[in-house]
This record gives sequence, C-alpha cells and structure tokens, in this order.
Amino acid sequence: MASGTHAFDDFPARPLGRRYGLGSKHMWTRNRFPFLWLMPVLLPVLLFIGVPVAHAFWTSLHQVMLLFPGEPFVGLDNYARVLDTNYFRTAMWNSVWFMVLAAPLVVAIGTAIAHFLQSRFAGSTIIRSVVLLPWVLPGAISAVLWIWVFHPSFGIINGLLKQIGAIDASIQWLNSPDLAFYCVLIAHVWTQIPFAVILVMAALAAINGETIEAATIDCRSGWRRFRYIVFPEIKAMIVVLVVYNALVAFTTYDLVYAMTGGGPGTATTLLAFQIWRESFAMYDFGAGAALAFIMVVVAAALIVAITRALPSDLFGERPS
Amino acid sequence: MKRLLAGALVGGGLLAVQPAMAEDITLEFVVWNYSLSTIQDNIRMFEEQSPGIKVNLTDYAWPDYQDSMVLRFRGNTRTDVIYGGQDWLPAWASAGWLAPLDDIAPPDTLETLKSEMAGFALSDVTYDGEVYGLPYYADTISFIYNQAILDEHDIEVPGTWDEVMQAAEKLKEAGMDRPIVYEYNQELPNFFDAFVAQVYGRGGDLFNEELNAVFDDPDNAAFQHLQWLREAFEKELVQPENHESNIITTMNTGQHAFTVVYNYVLAAMNNAGEQPLAGQFALAPMPGEEGATLGFAKFYAVTADAAADPERAEAAWKFIEFMAGQPYTVAKRWAVEDGLGFAQLPLLEDQDVVDAWGTWTDMQTHAAQVESARAGTWTEWTAVWTAYFRPLLASAMVGEITVEDAMTQGAERWNMLQEQFANR
Repeated sequence: MASGTHAFDDFPARPLGRRYGLGSKHMWTRNRFPFLWLMPVLLPVLLFIGVPVAHAFWTSLHQVMLLFPGEPFVGLDNYARVLDTNYFRTAMWNSVWFMVLAAPLVVAIGTAIAHFLQSRFAGSTIIRSVVLLPWVLPGAISAVLWIWVFHPSFGIINGLLKQIGAIDASIQWLNSPDLAFYCVLIAHVWTQIPFAVILVMAALAAINGETIEAATIDCRSGWRRFRYIVFPEIKAMIVVLVVYNALVAFTTYDLVYAMTGGGPGTATTLLAFQIWRESFAMYDFGAGAALAFIMVVVAAALIVAITRALPSDLFGERPS
Repeated sequence: MKRLLAGALVGGGLLAVQPAMAEDITLEFVVWNYSLSTIQDNIRMFEEQSPGIKVNLTDYAWPDYQDSMVLRFRGNTRTDVIYGGQDWLPAWASAGWLAPLDDIAPPDTLETLKSEMAGFALSDVTYDGEVYGLPYYADTISFIYNQAILDEHDIEVPGTWDEVMQAAEKLKEAGMDRPIVYEYNQELPNFFDAFVAQVYGRGGDLFNEELNAVFDDPDNAAFQHLQWLREAFEKELVQPENHESNIITTMNTGQHAFTVVYNYVLAAMNNAGEQPLAGQFALAPMPGEEGATLGFAKFYAVTADAAADPERAEAAWKFIEFMAGQPYTVAKRWAVEDGLGFAQLPLLEDQDVVDAWGTWTDMQTHAAQVESARAGTWTEWTAVWTAYFRPLLASAMVGEITVEDAMTQGAERWNMLQEQFANR
C-alpha cells in the first residue's frame, strides 16, 4: 500500500450516488465536503490573518494620515514616497546586514552550545537550564539588561576593560554610531540562542547512538566526527534554523526600540522599527503599511534566495 | 390589606428604581505612569468629596503614551479625561479629539484660573484662541551644575555656551572624563525640548513669526547651537544618557559637572534621602545671551466625546477643577512632594511650597527663570515633524551627518508638512 494515503481513498469504483447518498455511511466523509471540514480552521485564519493583511494592503494604497480627515486613494504613492527616503535606504541596509550577521551567528553558537551540552558532566543539568534563561525574558527586559551591560559609567564591560587596564576612558557603546549596531546585534543573538540550542539538541538526540559510537572508534578528531558524521544528520535542522533566524533578525523590533530608539541617528534603525516610526511617531499609517509590504516582499525574496543557495539534497527523502 | 399591598408595590418600585437613580458616572482617566500612587490617592480624595462620580485610571509608559492615545482616539475607546502635552495639543484639538474648556467650564471660573496661570503655560494649553486644559504641572528646562566641582576647580558658573565649553575642557584636562551629561534619546520629546531651551538661551528661535523654518540659516542660533553640541561631542566632553532617571544617578557619581534637564530632576538630584551628593547641585540661568529657556505645561484635558455628553462633561469638569483648580491643593501636592513645577502663580508665594523647594533649589533663581521662560512653537504638525527631526539632531551631534544636512533636511520636512497640513 502506498504510504501516506487514507483508507477512504481506496474505495472501489462505485456510482457516486450510492457512495455518497444521504443514507450512505460515507455521507460525512472528509472527501465529500472538504471545505466544510476545514472551515473551523480556515475561518479564524481568514479573520485574524486574511482580514488584517487585506486591510493593511488597502491602507498602503490610501493616504491614511491620522490627523487628516479623509483617506483618499493614492495608488502607489505611499510606496514611491517611502522608497525615496534616506531613512528607508538606511533601514533596508541595516536590516539586511543585521540579518546576514545575526542568523549564522545564532545558529553557529547555538549548535556549539548544544553539542557541548550533549555531553554529561557535573552540573550539566543546571547549565542546560541557565542557557535557556534568555529565552524566557521578554525583549524589553533583555534590552534593559543589555543597556546596563553597555552603560558607559556603570556597565560591566567598561568596568572589566578598565580593571584590566585595556581602556582609560569609558567606551560609549550605545551612543557611538559605529558601535551601537553591534551592541544591538550581540543582544539579539543572546536572546535567540536558547531556541537554537533546544532544536539542535533535539536533532542531536535523534542520531543513532551506534553511529556516534562507531565514529568515535574510527575517528579521533572531534571536529572531523562533527563535520562528517554529526553535521549531515542535523543539516536539515540547521537549515530550518538559519531560515527562521534570518526572518526573526530581519523583522526584529523590540530590542532596537528599547535599547537605542533606532539611533544614534539611524545607526540601528531597522525596517521593522521604521514601520513603527512612520505609523506611530509620524501618524502616517499609509506609509507604514507600504513599508510593511515592501518588507514582506524583501523578506520572502531573501528566504527564497537562502533556501536556493543551500544544497539540494537537504530535505531529500530518506532511502527506504 | 390593600394599603399594605399598595405600600409594598410603591416600596418595591422605588427599590427597583433606586439603582438607576444612584448609578455613578465613571470617568475614564488616562495618564502616563509618573507617580501612580499619588494619582490614585488624588482620585480617592476626589471620589470622597464627589459622590456619584467614579474615576477609572488607565496608564501608559511615557515613551508609549502618544501612540497609545492616538490609537485610543482612532479606535473610539471610551476616554474622558487625559493628560495632554503642549506639543500634541494642536494636532489632537484640530483632529477633534479634545474639547475646549470654554464649552464645559463656568466662564468666570475659567477666567480666574487663566489669570493666575504663567504666560508660557497659558500659551501651551491654548489652541486657536481657546483653552483646552488646566495644568497638571508646568516646568522649565534647566541648566544644572555641581557647585562643589566648580568650587574645587575654581570655575565660575558659566553664563554663555562658550564658557560652558571652556569650563568643560578645563575639567577634562583636570581628569574628568566627560563633564557634561546630556539626555540623548531621539525617541523622547524631551530631546527636542532641551535643544529648543538651549536655543532660547542664546536668544534665538527655530521659526519666525510666520511659522517658517529659519534654523537652516548658518547664522541662526539653532544652527550655531547644534554646531556647538557637535563640537562638544567631538571633544568627548559629553556623557550621553538615555533617560533623566539615569542622569540623576550619573550626576551623583561626582564625575560630571553640568547637565540640561527638566527642572524637577534637580529635586531628585538633591534628594538627601536617596542621593549621595545631594545638596551639591544648583540651578543657573540657561547659558546664552538672553538666558531664557523653554517653559512647558502638561495638562488635564477633556475629550470631545466626553464633552458631548452633558453628564460626563459636568463630571469631567468637576474632576479637572479638583485636580488643577483653586485652591490648587493637588498642584501644590505635586510641587511639595515631587518637586514638579506649577503654572499656578499664587503657589510661588505659598509658604509650604517655598519651604519644600528651598531644600533643593534657589527660589529666586527659579522665579526669574519662570518669568523669562518662553513657550515653544507648537503647530498641528509639530509632533509629526519632531519625530522626523529628532533623529537628524541626534545624527548631527555624533557626527553621522553634517549640521548643515540635518538642518536642511529638517527645514525641508517642516515646509512640506506645513504645506500638507494647509491643504488637508
């Protein structure tokens, strides 16, 4: 029997009327009214995703300035206007660069930590719990924590650097256009690592123990064992994580809002933050919605590009 | 028996009617979350003396307040009385979200309150010739210095921005890392307000009487002051802080001599119960040829929605009169307990206020500052424009863009918005 098919698909050819007649026991099969059965799921999706997205698209085609009385149709004017601003170009560049740096960093560090935590040692259970801590902290709390870490007068980093004599004067981590971006990046990576650790640990746990045992006997180099035995087994998970983290990094907002407010100047202004600024600080919901749709298109294109750039055998069927 | 039955019916009927007659009016009061316990206590006192009126309090964080209010208005969320700000008033009033108090207040009472209000505050609560609010507090942006540090280094209190620069450089040479602490947060309205206050100190303005942007002229005081700030940042004389609460702590390390901040922050800096260097900080006139500063008022306002319902309008007026009207009990409480400034001029003579403020500031200097304070230029598009302009200011200060670029782009945006709002 072909795998993945349902028993209802295997009916012998019989006249439709007899198969699905009112008195038939198959009257309410899922093949009879597929949309009806899907309605309980589709309706909320339509209501909570379809309607807001459609409304946002409508907004992007109208002049929706909260302080103006009417909402006239303006076609693609909002799109043209936001594309023409310096803020957009800077935000786009910052977002892409942020994504390019953040996604691989999260996955690489997460994989390394997960690999390390696979081994049993004294206190490993406690360390596993501690590693998950950043995950349970809301973004705003994480931001406050990192603001204090980077604080010029009271921050631990400047304190340590001064103690070891590496610097005489405090470094203005979050107030320097050259450094603020990387500070936010560090904070972002820190918040995302736990999720990567969990997923990679799950993938590592699924590897056949005998395979690892055999590899340990055959190959003494830990790196080569990881490269040729472990990595191929968790490759699919790594790809999922890269794509997921690319999306999260590209759309991140809360840390930027709370840590730097997009500044200094535009140094940490990412697209998602610019959407907020257009909509809520400048009351221009039309421009904000247009920017949001541009962001969706760019994100989709980037994800397609990432998945296409990856080896084609990643999600191939396992040999039976 | 019939009488008994009739009596029972009448009594029952009255009981049935009673809940409707005694139904309280509940006012929806929305604030930002400064000192919520004091607000709640003020509400409790109001409810005690105003039977039949309840007040339901909703609060938002200061950085989120403007967005939250706009969404409440647009979403028709029931809102009766709010905290308003001078920079938002023209936009919110012109959008029809707020009601002039002339519509709901007894004319004589309102005239009396207006006559006792500081000039800049009255200007801040007025839009298109009508008064929209009574001051919750009114304050100035102040130049604050550490007297002990200046004494130790034999430095006079600077009277101009050049003197501030010279003093800061002298302190830096003497080993102080960054003598000036500056509230640097481009998402906060304070960031723009402080800049305007410094420009007023120089005797300039960003706009002319026709409301045209003039700050892109290199001879304009705003242009020159942004250059001054950029130079101070370049020379590493400035310690940026993202919130006034951090300024209190940072100034109390004794590693910084000057700051520009809301005046009530001085009260917190000199709070002997909490700060190690309390008593060392003093107020000076804003440096510059004119020594003026920005005065501003935050106020209680009534929504147009509430004003349209006579019962709610009456209750709302009673409430804001209690909070900001004579005998100014609540305004006095804010002044005495929290050091918040006030627009009600009779409080300048109030002995309790004088005694309380005397512990953390010089009342004569303060009174002179209030007298010379100027209101800002607040138009329907100011709030939208400042959201655009603040990041430009921030960029220019730290050298990300030139002063000329910041001012040119800011002026272009101002002109565009001015035209857009004129044609809406």
